[in-house]
Amino acid sequence: MVATPVLCVRRLSKTFPGQRALADVDLDVEPGEIRALVGQNGCGKSTLIKALAGFHEPDAGSEVTVAGKPLAFGDPTSADAAGLRFVHQDLGLVAALDAVDNLALGHGYETGRLGLIRWRRERARAREALQELGYEFEISRPVGGLAASERTAVAVARALSRHSTPPRVLVLDEPTANLPAAEADRLFALVRSVRDAGVAVIFVSHHLEEVFGLCDTVTVLRDGRLVTTRPTAGLTESDLVELMIGRRLAQYDVPPAETAHQGDVVLDVRGLATAVLGGLDLSVRAGEVVGFAGITGSGREELALALFGGRPRTGVVTIGDRTVPQLRPDLAVQYGMGLVPAERHANAAFLDADLQENVVVASPAAFARRGLLRRGRERSDVARWLERLNVRPSGTQRAMSTLSGGNQQKVVLARWLRRQPHVLVLDEPTQGVDVGAKAEIHALVDQAAADGAAVVVVSTDHDELARLCGRVLVLAGGRVVAELHHADLHADRITAAAVGHTLRSAS
Amino acid sequence: MTTEAAEPANAAADVLVTEAESAEPDRATSDVVSVEPDRATLTRRLPRLNLGLDRFSGLYVWTLIILVFGIWLPDTFLTSYNFQIIAGDQAITAMLALGLIIPLAAGVFDLSCAATLGFAVTVVTWLLKEGFNPVLAILITLACGAFIGFVNGLVVVRLNVDSFIGTLGMSSILAAGAYWVTNGEQIVNTFSKSFLDAGSTRLWGVSLPFYYMLLLAAILYVIVDHTPVGRYLYAAGGNPQAARLAGMRVGRVVWGSLITSATLAALTGVILAAKLGSASQDVGPPYLLQAFSAVFLGSTQIKAGRMNVLGTLVAIYLLATGVKGLQLGGSPSYVNSLFNGLALIIAVALAARTYRRK
Repeated sequence: MVATPVLCVRRLSKTFPGQRALADVDLDVEPGEIRALVGQNGCGKSTLIKALAGFHEPDAGSEVTVAGKPLAFGDPTSADAAGLRFVHQDLGLVAALDAVDNLALGHGYETGRLGLIRWRRERARAREALQELGYEFEISRPVGGLAASERTAVAVARALSRHSTPPRVLVLDEPTANLPAAEADRLFALVRSVRDAGVAVIFVSHHLEEVFGLCDTVTVLRDGRLVTTRPTAGLTESDLVELMIGRRLAQYDVPPAETAHQGDVVLDVRGLATAVLGGLDLSVRAGEVVGFAGITGSGREELALALFGGRPRTGVVTIGDRTVPQLRPDLAVQYGMGLVPAERHANAAFLDADLQENVVVASPAAFARRGLLRRGRERSDVARWLERLNVRPSGTQRAMSTLSGGNQQKVVLARWLRRQPHVLVLDEPTQGVDVGAKAEIHALVDQAAADGAAVVVVSTDHDELARLCGRVLVLAGGRVVAELHHADLHADRITAAAVGHTLRSAS
Repeated sequence: MTTEAAEPANAAADVLVTEAESAEPDRATSDVVSVEPDRATLTRRLPRLNLGLDRFSGLYVWTLIILVFGIWLPDTFLTSYNFQIIAGDQAITAMLALGLIIPLAAGVFDLSCAATLGFAVTVVTWLLKEGFNPVLAILITLACGAFIGFVNGLVVVRLNVDSFIGTLGMSSILAAGAYWVTNGEQIVNTFSKSFLDAGSTRLWGVSLPFYYMLLLAAILYVIVDHTPVGRYLYAAGGNPQAARLAGMRVGRVVWGSLITSATLAALTGVILAAKLGSASQDVGPPYLLQAFSAVFLGSTQIKAGRMNVLGTLVAIYLLATGVKGLQLGGSPSYVNSLFNGLALIIAVALAARTYRRK
């Protein structure tokens, strides 16, 4: 392509007190290009995006031009006027409002005489904007009730539609972090259609297959510096990982050793049923890691919480020889179950509390004597666990909110590992987690199993399931439709089974 | 504390041990011991220095207020008598606010606490007028408080009514109850001398309720900061869903917090009755805003971002000192409400700002 770059970043630096978050980053993005921006958490991606969006004012000497015109720093309005548009990971939608209202949040309503909203026109435009992105759904439903990719479409439509200037650059910040695989495909079609309209797209993602499947070029940041920008063609996944983390991943990449003899059945489930799940039977032995896959609506999303008793269910769940009644997570914990739930911020993290409290919350009285806490002992115990799980930055008194997603997830894991659970249930354990932390979390799961826990992993990341599990059950329509064992455990086979092609083992 | 003491017990979960450490366990552990405290203290101390101004801003402002009024009104303000008055006057508000910390920490409002206080005043007065033994009368009043809290919990936890609405409704019901007990009239001259003495005797120049309040503060401080109960409260208030999925019975925590605050409000009512020596149906409600102000203002102090005992005490006496100074300086009586309201809004706004910056 011989196009001139629409976005030129030169010597972009940003220094926070005591920390240089970005150092002399150069970036050129051309119209009609999908550029991946990758790097581990803390590499400067977010700072770069926030600097572009006008939330951070970069250091003196930084220059950004959009379509040849210099961008005024520290001013979100001028970024918008220059044609820079952003869709953040949380999308920024109001769940209780419908698509029309959410679109209007971006640009206001069109009003007729008397200042009344011209609803018919608004609805037609909303429908049209979504159709251009390849989406057609009932726009009067609250967006909270839409599928995840439909919500993303609403956010993208809002970013692109009806500003005073046309969009030139669309920045998507981890748009797939909370998206099931099948819906991610719809999103990619959407991103391509945006690109084809001549907009430059910057796509931030932790999923390397997305980088290769969707993006034309990739920019890698590490420790606030530009590592490289190059075409994705000719690059392999392990090359890219090496560029991101600055070392080979091989040390983590070894599949877990086959456990020679497995222990007794620790978790026994008979006829587990919820609104979607229809009568699931399951036995997991000590030391075994069992995975669950399935597309959205297969029952996969409900499984972990149902097992733990966090949502209404029927059926019998037994840990050892004790039956856990439904809706009693406290008893599940008492009997030795631990849950790392999906959607960490809503379900697991106490963001304002310190790391110590986040860890000890599952056993608040573990170090108490005569009813009084012994904080010193507790602190050194927690500090040891944070050290062991390589939580960075460490420090038991640090607020949870100051940690990156991967490190928060390790803190949640520490909460349970510290209790040496008999049963460990993990729901999307590496959602929104960078590559390095992901490998570490996988190693921790291996170790928990080696220590005798019965582990259940529910994930949409099929590489993860293949990496962790000795056995993967595939759900569809609330039932197990396939069971894959060692020889069959490959991400592609899991995916194939999940989307409905029953794949019989060749061997 | 030695970090390696419990090592053998947890050795099984020792996960990410590097090659070097596993090869040379002795050196590795000695490294951990020597490095760990330094890093821990560094990361802990540095932000604390920065936060000092925010967390202790109340103490600085309090000192400033005392200095300003001390220079302006050395003869009336800067007297031990004045400080004895301030200490004694605020005991009731402080006790009510201390009880209120519990449900607010657990993430629910108890808007009925002041009405419970007022209701308790009328109940204990009426019981004594009817000739009940004082100890029995006090116990019955406390039981009434506990029952009110129980009903609040039933409404909030079981019926899923928002605590703001549920306790507001209870507040109105209790106002009716207080009227019903007193028949709308003031009840006077029903107390024995010893009961009255318990509310008004001075010790070192300060009336006894101040010492009851200190005792209550000490007990609550220990419970909230040094027993697992505080953990339950803050976890339930911080993220109820996460607390539930960490195995906590959040409904019980919330329910218990409402019973506690109502019982403590009833206890405060008993002391207020002894202090006042009479009862009318409208004595409770004026304490509501003051108690809430104190807890919210207090949550910006000492342990910023959390409702806490010491912060609440600082807030109460900071406000009372300012109001007293202004009154002695000749300001009109409405300055009390004005000062309280302004201080609350400004303090919470400042706290919100520091919070955002974090």
